[in-house]
Amino acid sequence: MKANVVLFWIIAVFCFLLAGVYTFWSLVDPFHGYVEWVGTVALTLSGALGAFLAFYLGRVHKQQGAELPEDTLTANIDDGDPEIGFFSPWSWWPIILAGGGALVMLGLAVGIWIAFGGVALTVIAITGWTYEYYRGYHAR
Amino acid sequence: MVFPHVVTKSRPNIGHNGGVTSTSLNYAARAPKINRPNSVAVGTIVWLGSEVMFFAGLFAIYFTLRSVAPDLWATHTATLNIPFSTVNTIILVASSFTCQFGVFAAERMQPRSVGPKPSQWGMVEWFFLTYTLGAMFVVGQIFEYATLVSEGISLSSDAYGSAFYLTTGFHGLHVTGGLIAFLLVIGRAYAVKTFTHKEATSAIVVSYYWHFVDVVWLGLFFVIYVLK
Repeated sequence: MKANVVLFWIIAVFCFLLAGVYTFWSLVDPFHGYVEWVGTVALTLSGALGAFLAFYLGRVHKQQGAELPEDTLTANIDDGDPEIGFFSPWSWWPIILAGGGALVMLGLAVGIWIAFGGVALTVIAITGWTYEYYRGYHAR
Repeated sequence: MVFPHVVTKSRPNIGHNGGVTSTSLNYAARAPKINRPNSVAVGTIVWLGSEVMFFAGLFAIYFTLRSVAPDLWATHTATLNIPFSTVNTIILVASSFTCQFGVFAAERMQPRSVGPKPSQWGMVEWFFLTYTLGAMFVVGQIFEYATLVSEGISLSSDAYGSAFYLTTGFHGLHVTGGLIAFLLVIGRAYAVKTFTHKEATSAIVVSYYWHFVDVVWLGLFFVIYVLK
């Protein structure tokens, strides 16, 4: 995981550096002469994005002290095939959540009153999805 | 129809190769321990990275509009109530601390309090306190919006209004979403008989989100209320 951490730090430093170059260049350019904020903000926060991920992965790496199979020359292919997580094979809640989100977007486009119903449906769907494996037969 | 490859004998038709081992010896025998990071936690952090870029867009809107209409900023930033928003900011920062105490409780697998003192509180008590503080922040924001609208600054009044309400409004929506997430995590702690790593993980990733939203507010507060 060390490689991932180092790569994200490189991305962070690169973007911060470019943010400085970009700002300086837009200031000294005789046809411009003022700070172009979209590029400056985007490059600076791209650096923040890289530093954020690098910092977090570095912390995780330091705490767990283990290497991923991707970084180990002696690893097998199937070592890199982890359990990704638990996904319900038959849940109806995702499609209800999608319906809620679609109603919110439709409401923003054609009439805000539809969005209110969409928000309610979204909250119901999120609650149902969150507690799907905490009720009934799955209660524990 | 006959499928010649379907074996209908009662004994499975599986042989072996006689004297060879099933697999050849490989490097796995001396491979170091693989200990993957929690994919929920890393996934949340990566998603928060995309949120950084979402707010980057909002900051870019704000700075660009400010640079093309400095006179609007000169007149409108004077109407901002700095002491009020400072108190509101302190409330939100305090909620990040109470949230972290809730995470410490979740990490020692303690969902509920064992006594009245804060040092004996569980995750649920700390998260209820965090919810209260976060809700106070949102109420403060709504009060501030109502005051500003009464003073003639609205989403559609001018570029300053658009920039102000877009940035702080999207942040307020994020806080509201965080409040809902706290309720879901609190509900999970009540729903289970034994508090497990699954519940602790959801508590920890909600705290990641909450700290992120808090830091974004500090950025917004600095840009909108301090820098003007």
